[in-house]
Amino acid sequence: MEELVVEVTRTDEKGNQKLQSFNVPKDKVSTVLEALLYIKENMDPSLSFRYSCRMEICGSCGMEIDGKPHMACSTTIESLKSDKVKVAPMKHYKVIRDLAVDMEGFFGKYKEVKPYIIRDDENGKYESEILQTPAQFDEFIDYSMCIKCGICMAACPIEGSDPDYLGPAPLTAIWRYVADSRDQGAKYRLEVASGPEGTSRCHFVGECTEACPKGVDPSYAIQKLRGSMVKYEFQSLFRRH
Amino acid sequence: MVEENVKNLREGPMGWAKFYRKGIGYFAFAMHRFSGLVIVFYLYLHLFVLSHLLVGKATYNSLVTSVTYGPFDSFLVLDVLLALVIFYHGANGTRLALNELGIGLENNKAMFYVFEVISMVLLGIFLYYAYMFLGAS
Ligand code: SF4
Ligand code: FES
Repeated sequence: MEELVVEVTRTDEKGNQKLQSFNVPKDKVSTVLEALLYIKENMDPSLSFRYSCRMEICGSCGMEIDGKPHMACSTTIESLKSDKVKVAPMKHYKVIRDLAVDMEGFFGKYKEVKPYIIRDDENGKYESEILQTPAQFDEFIDYSMCIKCGICMAACPIEGSDPDYLGPAPLTAIWRYVADSRDQGAKYRLEVASGPEGTSRCHFVGECTEACPKGVDPSYAIQKLRGSMVKYEFQSLFRRH
Repeated sequence: MVEENVKNLREGPMGWAKFYRKGIGYFAFAMHRFSGLVIVFYLYLHLFVLSHLLVGKATYNSLVTSVTYGPFDSFLVLDVLLALVIFYHGANGTRLALNELGIGLENNKAMFYVFEVISMVLLGIFLYYAYMFLGAS
């Protein structure tokens, strides 16, 4: 029977790391997540990792697979083109245990950009529906596909050297709302984006875009955001305060 | 315990160099950082050498002649490498500035190749004329 060697970087409760290999029968599993579940159910129940939907929706199974951040549930064994796979926790995060990382820092940055529609209307009481044309809808829809998996944060080398950098997903969220015709929070958002840990830290490496499992294209969104910021700053020169 | 592990997973500036098996943008970035460092190093080296003028003409001349003599001295090779990183850095920097302004953003990867090919052709022309100048002097 053909076997897949799964080499897992494990971290115990004291923070000690070690590599551990497991031989998983290839005909029993079709994705990396299934291989990990096979190990947990049949070989070592202490193996820790996070998952939920198993279908690239919940964004919880991000991990380094053969040195790159991927979703374990959508990485097929076939796509590995090898009998061996290395699995490790996502870079740039704190490890809680084995493959489970602490996402608090990422979510904190995400909250900072106020990822929801901001309106000037009193208490959200609208006179009528807020209509949108298909063209206006197309402006932001791709960016709203983000599942907050944090993979782009693990792929970004700037995130790896500057923990305070807002990072690809939060900056993309800013663009997602700035590009939404219903949103009126541009002033707040552009101020966050133009701060010292905003778009100026992005060097357009584009690895976030390469890694994003949902095709969100964060690096493109960040450059679009830059353009809006230049326009906003320019207009503010002529605006009365 | 969690705090201890932060160091393990945050790669720091060493991560900038790890372009192997990544996208072309990562390669462009890694080389941009490296060439930037070389240029800054050269700038300080250049200022250090020039500062010998403050001591006097003889000191400066003896320093310069000690490191450069003959048409194929070792510093000539370093000069060629310096020109290479400057041309690379300049071309990629221009591409990035244009992309960040939204120009060519959709085709940023193709733009990287085009700009670098153009800059390498310009480098070739520059080196040719530099060589002719050297031969003439
Ligand atoms: S932008 Fe892509 S990689 Fe980043 S958190 Fe959203 S879905 Fe994940
Ligand atoms: S388990 Fe939900 S995205 Fe992988």
